[in-house]
Amino acid sequence: MNVQSKKPITAAEQSLLDRYSERRDALQGDASVTELRDGLVHDFAQTGLPGRRIETWHYTDLRTLLKSAPSDFSAEAGASAKPIVPDSIVLSARNDCQDSAIPDGMDVSSFKELLASERATDLLASKRSDDFIGRVNSMFVDGGSVVEVSKGAKLEKTIEFQNASLGGHLHTRMSVNIGEGASGTFIERQIAAGKTDSFVSSITDLTIGKGAAVTWIISQERGVSDTHLGQINIRLGEDARLTLFIANAGGHLVRQEVHVTADGENSDFALRGVNLLGGDSHTDITMEFDHLVANCVSAETLRNVVFDRARGVFQGQIRVAQIAQKTDAKMACNTLLLSDEGEFFSKPELEIFADDVQCGHGATVTDIDENHLFYLKARGISDSKARAMLVNAFISEIVEDLEQEDLVEAFENRFSEWLAQHA
Amino acid sequence: MPAVQETIDQVRQIDVDQYKYGFETLIEMEKAPKGLNEDIIRFISAKKDEPEWMLEWRLNAYRRWLTMEAPSWARVEYPKIDFNDIYYYAAPKSMAGPKTLDEVDPELLRTYEKLGIPLREQEILAGVQESKIAVDAVFDSVSVVTTFKKELAKAGVIFMSISEAIREHPDLVRKYLGSVVPVTDNYYATLNSAVFTDGSFVFVPKGVRCPMELSTYFRINEKNTGQFERTLIICEEAAYVSYLEGCTAPQRDENQLHAAVVELVALEDAEIKYSTVQNWFPGDSEGKGGIYNFVTKRGDCRGANSKISWTQVETGSAITWKYPSCILRGDNSRGEFYSIAVSNGRQQIDSGTKMIHLGKNTSSRIISKGISAGKSNNTYRGQVSAHRKATNARNFTQCDSLLIGNNCGAHTVPYIEARNSTAQFEHEATTSKISEDQLFYCLQRGIPEEEAIALIVNGFVKEVIQELPMEFAVEAQKLIGISLEGSVG
Amino acid sequence: MLEIKNLHARIAEDGTEIIRGLNLTVKAGEVAAIMGPNGSGKSTLSYVLTGREDYEVTEGDILYNGESILDMDVSERAASGIFLAFQYPVEIPGVATMQFLKVAMNEQRKARGEDELSTPDFIRKVKEAAGELKIDMDMLKRPLNVGFSGGEKKRAEILQMALLEPSLCILDETDSGLDIDALKIVADGVNALRSPDRAIVVITHYQRLLDYIVPDSVHVLYKGRVIESGQKELALELEKNGYANIIEKAA
Repeated sequence: MNVQSKKPITAAEQSLLDRYSERRDALQGDASVTELRDGLVHDFAQTGLPGRRIETWHYTDLRTLLKSAPSDFSAEAGASAKPIVPDSIVLSARNDCQDSAIPDGMDVSSFKELLASERATDLLASKRSDDFIGRVNSMFVDGGSVVEVSKGAKLEKTIEFQNASLGGHLHTRMSVNIGEGASGTFIERQIAAGKTDSFVSSITDLTIGKGAAVTWIISQERGVSDTHLGQINIRLGEDARLTLFIANAGGHLVRQEVHVTADGENSDFALRGVNLLGGDSHTDITMEFDHLVANCVSAETLRNVVFDRARGVFQGQIRVAQIAQKTDAKMACNTLLLSDEGEFFSKPELEIFADDVQCGHGATVTDIDENHLFYLKARGISDSKARAMLVNAFISEIVEDLEQEDLVEAFENRFSEWLAQHA
Repeated sequence: MPAVQETIDQVRQIDVDQYKYGFETLIEMEKAPKGLNEDIIRFISAKKDEPEWMLEWRLNAYRRWLTMEAPSWARVEYPKIDFNDIYYYAAPKSMAGPKTLDEVDPELLRTYEKLGIPLREQEILAGVQESKIAVDAVFDSVSVVTTFKKELAKAGVIFMSISEAIREHPDLVRKYLGSVVPVTDNYYATLNSAVFTDGSFVFVPKGVRCPMELSTYFRINEKNTGQFERTLIICEEAAYVSYLEGCTAPQRDENQLHAAVVELVALEDAEIKYSTVQNWFPGDSEGKGGIYNFVTKRGDCRGANSKISWTQVETGSAITWKYPSCILRGDNSRGEFYSIAVSNGRQQIDSGTKMIHLGKNTSSRIISKGISAGKSNNTYRGQVSAHRKATNARNFTQCDSLLIGNNCGAHTVPYIEARNSTAQFEHEATTSKISEDQLFYCLQRGIPEEEAIALIVNGFVKEVIQELPMEFAVEAQKLIGISLEGSVG
Repeated sequence: MLEIKNLHARIAEDGTEIIRGLNLTVKAGEVAAIMGPNGSGKSTLSYVLTGREDYEVTEGDILYNGESILDMDVSERAASGIFLAFQYPVEIPGVATMQFLKVAMNEQRKARGEDELSTPDFIRKVKEAAGELKIDMDMLKRPLNVGFSGGEKKRAEILQMALLEPSLCILDETDSGLDIDALKIVADGVNALRSPDRAIVVITHYQRLLDYIVPDSVHVLYKGRVIESGQKELALELEKNGYANIIEKAA
């Protein structure tokens, strides 16, 4: 029973309620949207922020972690940062200030238009009672993009969506539909363009059509005092291929949720995640994978490196329905805990209702292997250099799974830079 | 596929009528009135001739319990329990206090004989039973007899029912009771603290290796009666004991509640090995009847270099909610959890362990083997946690699930919590079915299918079976076979 | 002893026909080699003979000692004396090899209405047979095939064959994964089992094994049928010229 008994309202809860009252009438959407938002706010006033008694938020207790929420809203920042991969097509996730040319086979429109349409309430309605990210986003969302990749389109260049925060509230939603047989590489870049504390919720709804092949990358690079609540909701069609790469290296309080539903047979899903955690940050990746049909493959590998007083969380739940025979699901979560004040919590779950399956998970938490370290030092490499090499080796195994040379190089560089600053 | 299909069909047809311990003993009972209130608690306490502090302890627990809610996080479903529709005390009339073997009602002796529990010391001594095992037999709410007490006393080991211990060794009981599982630990533990009726007490003094296996046999017999056992085992410095509990109940249409608390305390260099073969009535194939087994078991490795090892074979009960745990407080202490959980019919099992690493250089090992068949659900839930000061904490966890048939569920829910960089945790879990290749290989060697599956399943659980005391390993293997009857010979 | 008549068999799951009108006769005392390129149906034949339910016989018959065995299940066929030495022996964790041998031997005896072996008799038999095959008794305490090397696995298969005393032995690619020393030991083990009342079917891709287990007849399997039969020289010819000529000739 995910019910919390009535507790005193926290400062952050009050702040969110106040912001809504202020903002309510200026938000996009017709009366039915406003009604839906009012309902969510009403629920929120009752239940408050999710705390440790809510199973899916056990390790990310927002009641204590979210001390406050900003009192203002972010200005529109557009897409201004240099792309991760040179020669990418750079777009604003909020579809404001677009200046790049949209390639053939792809269509982008503003989420604001969708908010004004009949589909809005369906999209914003959040079904799960523990879906705080869905709810807070639906309460405040006022911008985003709607992306259509047409059937059979092969997007050559990497498409980078920038969701830049300038401080204050930022609530963005992207709806992406990859048509049958289409392919492409997309980067969802969550970056800080301002210096003040931001409170961001960003949701992507990604539908991969039959036979489509996609690489989707979430690069989270928020500022050291930012709160980032991300969610990606994925539907995998028949024969669809998706590699989802999540790179967390930033933010103060971060949660990235991944919800995947395999509802067409023979799909293949790979999640690769790198969490580089430092300072006083709290970073949570929570994944749920529903195998609803037979013959699908899913494999998740996460590598986490924890420095300073950082805390990391990985929750991964694989659910295999009774009819999802011949499912092959594997999950691994490996953590290097390099600081005595750092913490890592993992909860890799299996929920299996079909018998003819191969499912498994593994989780390890270790420090750097002393033997490896000794070996490198015996070859004359300094202690700090040797450690850096080993940490790099630990994560580069994952980065290499990206396969595309430019992506691998870009992320290896990015991670090395981060490590150089923190190690 | 087809070879296994046949097995699945057979499992589906299983009737739990094969439960061999489903008979009822007809004996005159004395019961407290139905329901739960302070008067009932006073009644129980008075029946047991308890000191005032014990009554206060119970009443305090009861008052706290009234403010608590039943836990809902486990993957088990059952209708709300009406705690006022249960008898909290039922004892054979002839048992006005513990007796010597000669005074025990022959009907009770026959009951235990039928269950295969050796109570007659002279027979054991005469070699009817191969090795010597001391038994405390608990029948509904009272201990009816404890064997080998005198011989154990010579070695300095105290083994008696907890009711007797409260009267005879109040200081020891007072010192340790509730020190591992606090009164308000959880809903069912608090309820147990208020109304517990009997259970075993073991005290092994400093430096003593208990000269024989100790065992408690729990039997629920009376209708509508809950059993609330309380067991407390203390091993002083460098002491050792191996303890086994078994349990059965008659076959009834109603659900019966069993809410036990077991506390283990191991001081410096001490070792406790606690084995359970749980075979409460599981309900029939449609899920009617069966025991609700809500149990809190926890061991405290209080001293340095101490060790606590839990081994469980769980085949019975309609619902099992049970997490035998270790608090690794002492430096270099070690905790182990070996489990086989077999579910069939409509059984629901949510079981696992917690290994809480607090001291330095502590280590733990978890081996869990779940087998689901029929329409059952079988969940492993476990927590491994290393605290900030628990430097060099080590854990290895292996959780394997086997599915027989496509109407059951197997679930794994581990919580892995590392709070310092020297912790080394390794966790692995797999879920699969009996492989067609393995089955075909056995069949090709002329081994019939039932036998082949039994062989493969026994191979699957081997690592855990090995941890049981020799005498019980064979029995446990048979029990697993019976629980999967139809698929396993 | 074994008579296969116009056998057709397919994969039960998807209906793919693998054996397409196969005829073969093997007499008691005979060693017959079945050779063929990859995908010709060699392994399928071994599974169909032993009754694996992944395959369906759609036409034809298999006679063993003059009687059809199509209605017998896997363990019945095994108990009647049909033995398959697997190409990839299966690992069974937790089940000691000795325990497995004892169960298999006694179950077969039971099926034939014989008494179970006493433990000392059983151990004596195993020791004898293991000695012949240079198998260390310690290996037999380990779980069946788990962590065995390729050679150990194959020797364990021949050990089982020796202990179960079958009358029809089918060796599926027994030479794969063996170095020359291990191959000799295995071949010696098989040769020791040659007897006038036992037939041996050796399925192999290469002729190498046939240098050590010399066959009385050689049959070439292609697309689920025997396209050529001959003496042991046929194997040498195949070794030299490959399958192409024979396939062409048959077509």
